[in-house]
Amino acid sequence: MTELARKVCMLGDFGVGKTSLVSRFVRNTFSDKYLTTVGVKVDSKHVALPDARTVKLVVWDIAGKSALDALNLNYLRGATGLMLVADGTREASLRATLNLLMQARDVLDDPAVVLVVNKLDLVERWQVAPATIAELRRTLPVVETSAQSGDGVEAAFAELARKLAA
Amino acid sequence: MNGFPASVERYLERVLIERARPLLLTFDGPWQLRAMVGDAARFGFDAAAPDVVVERLQDLFLGLPTGQMQDFPFVELAGGGNAHVHLVPDGELFHVLLLDAGEEHERTRAQQQLGNEAELASLEKSRALARLKEIRSELERQRAGLEEAHALKNALIATLSHDFRTPLTSIFGYLHLLERRAGGDAAEIDALHAIRRNATYLFALAENLLEYGRSEAGAPNERAASLINAERLDAPRLGADLDAMFRPLAQDKGIEFHLEPIVAPPAEALFDEVKLRQVLINLLSNAVRYTHHGEVRARIAWREQHLELEVRDTGIGISPEYRERVFKAFNRGAQSGSRGAGLGLSIVKRLVEQMHGTLDLESTPGAGSCFRVRVPALERPGANLPAAPAGDYENVRRAAPSAVVVDDDPDIAGLLEVLLADLGCRVRAFDDANAAIEHVRAEPPDVLLIDVELPGLSGNAAVYRLRSQGYKGRIVTLSATATDDARRAAIAAGADHYLTKPLNIEQFLRTMRATIA
Ligand SMILES: Nc1nc2c(ncn2[C@@H]2O[C@H](COP(=O)(O)OP(=O)(O)O)[C@@H](O)[C@H]2O)c(=O)[nH]1
Ligand SMILES: [Mg+2]
Repeated sequence: MTELARKVCMLGDFGVGKTSLVSRFVRNTFSDKYLTTVGVKVDSKHVALPDARTVKLVVWDIAGKSALDALNLNYLRGATGLMLVADGTREASLRATLNLLMQARDVLDDPAVVLVVNKLDLVERWQVAPATIAELRRTLPVVETSAQSGDGVEAAFAELARKLAA
Repeated sequence: MNGFPASVERYLERVLIERARPLLLTFDGPWQLRAMVGDAARFGFDAAAPDVVVERLQDLFLGLPTGQMQDFPFVELAGGGNAHVHLVPDGELFHVLLLDAGEEHERTRAQQQLGNEAELASLEKSRALARLKEIRSELERQRAGLEEAHALKNALIATLSHDFRTPLTSIFGYLHLLERRAGGDAAEIDALHAIRRNATYLFALAENLLEYGRSEAGAPNERAASLINAERLDAPRLGADLDAMFRPLAQDKGIEFHLEPIVAPPAEALFDEVKLRQVLINLLSNAVRYTHHGEVRARIAWREQHLELEVRDTGIGISPEYRERVFKAFNRGAQSGSRGAGLGLSIVKRLVEQMHGTLDLESTPGAGSCFRVRVPALERPGANLPAAPAGDYENVRRAAPSAVVVDDDPDIAGLLEVLLADLGCRVRAFDDANAAIEHVRAEPPDVLLIDVELPGLSGNAAVYRLRSQGYKGRIVTLSATATDDARRAAIAAGADHYLTKPLNIEQFLRTMRATIA
């Protein structure tokens, strides 16, 4: 049986919580400690689709930068899905991630994209206004998440899986 | 190669291989493992379970052709190792070559960590600096009026009073319901009165703390205006309540308690009854406490367009050098033999100022004290939410408005449900924000009432989510935290109103009527 498998890359500025989202999603763990990512870590998890099929998401957690260099573009090859990650407490990280999306679109052919705005548990300190997200939602699926509490994390990956299997 | 002597070439080969500890896997066709050469354990692979290794590598090259050279540096492996991974095509076959990158990865990571942390720290620093600047100008404004350790006390009191508010909301809310439904049974009515009297007393104490703890931020006028609540004063009832409250206390101490005949103000003169009550309760509590023989006498009278409140006692009195100090908070010792937090008179002074009144004190040590308060009638609060005429509302609305209530305290959720149902709403209650979000998304209600302090997803986070998903209905946030910061955070997340617990039922009903109208 050939199973459905898709490569997904986490894209976003450093420190927004890409690694944390993947740990929450794959291992259901979270750590406060910040350990920067160098290179890439590849994880995978099967996700059930609404139509009872499953898809294996092969998730690439790559080092976060506000712009993609040749090295990171190299990691993107073969990906059909992108999980864009911004940090609600850093408005600049939202702009960075949208920038990354434009760059990624140059090397990928029409990838499936979901934007997550992370650190919802710190909503009292968010710099991103709800109206901004409402506006973005016209063009992209957006999910507010907290890798810390787990809120929205499953939903975000499920949404991406759904788009990838469509 | 490039003309190196064979011995050097062999040496180089050995050094490089030693350093890189290569693991070579050779595949044919679609990922059929032909051979594995090298130290698999080094990379956290189990040579005895090649299937797992193959699956990992397959994942890594997912979506990429195996007929082309591929190269991924710094791949973190499941066992914790790190490798540069190369795919080398070879006719019908292809090889995957892993070179150990553990040390290099650790070095690079440490370097990058420093850089990233520095950048995050500088971000945090500029944020902290901005916040510090705010705080500093705030502090400078306040410093003149601040006593020692004032800020610390505020924090303590805010925490304490926070804990008072939630149960009081419940008590008053249900009392309200019981009183409306009480039959004619005299014993029952007496019991309800007793509960209300004592709850009110507790409320007054809690309110003293709250009033004290309330932020000093904002222009004093603004604050006073926002807090004043103009209503008709039921002076006889106020007198009766005070009598019922203090006569037993006086009797216990063996002193007399006199309430002089009340001269009620005309109906059109409005007052903030809660504040007046708080003033009188504080003055009378003090008088009874510091009087050991003789009497305590109270007077409520309308005179020369002012309401006069007077509390006179034959107690220990206050010597002139302490006159100023008794009106400051935490004045313990100002009146000799005093006990308690020493908040009462400072609160009285503040409340009287908020009502634009005056406060006088005459006292002779050893003979007694007399506090006299004069407050003018208040303006009718025109801009404030007017109470909708009772009958009208039924006719105006077309369909019953829908409301969703989210509170994890079942008593409060139940109370809100009943109050809203009384206003003609169809109500759904939830104890969990996520379930409520689902419901609101499927069936957007006209109004959402949500507690901030929910377990799991917070009320603010839920509000944010709903607003960012385009929910356009009204949102009222409820919280036990009565600070400006908390209010700002709730409004920034997308709430229209921010109400604090314990709920002032009248204010709540007014807000809700205006909200669903
Ligand atoms: N409060 C909070 N902190 C988070 C959350 N997600 C990540 N973090 C923290 O943010 C820092 C950076 O996270 P990380 O996953 O390493 O970010 P990355 O550089 O994008 O991979 C770490 O200290 C995490 O603990 C979240 O949802 N809430
Ligand atoms: Mg990372």
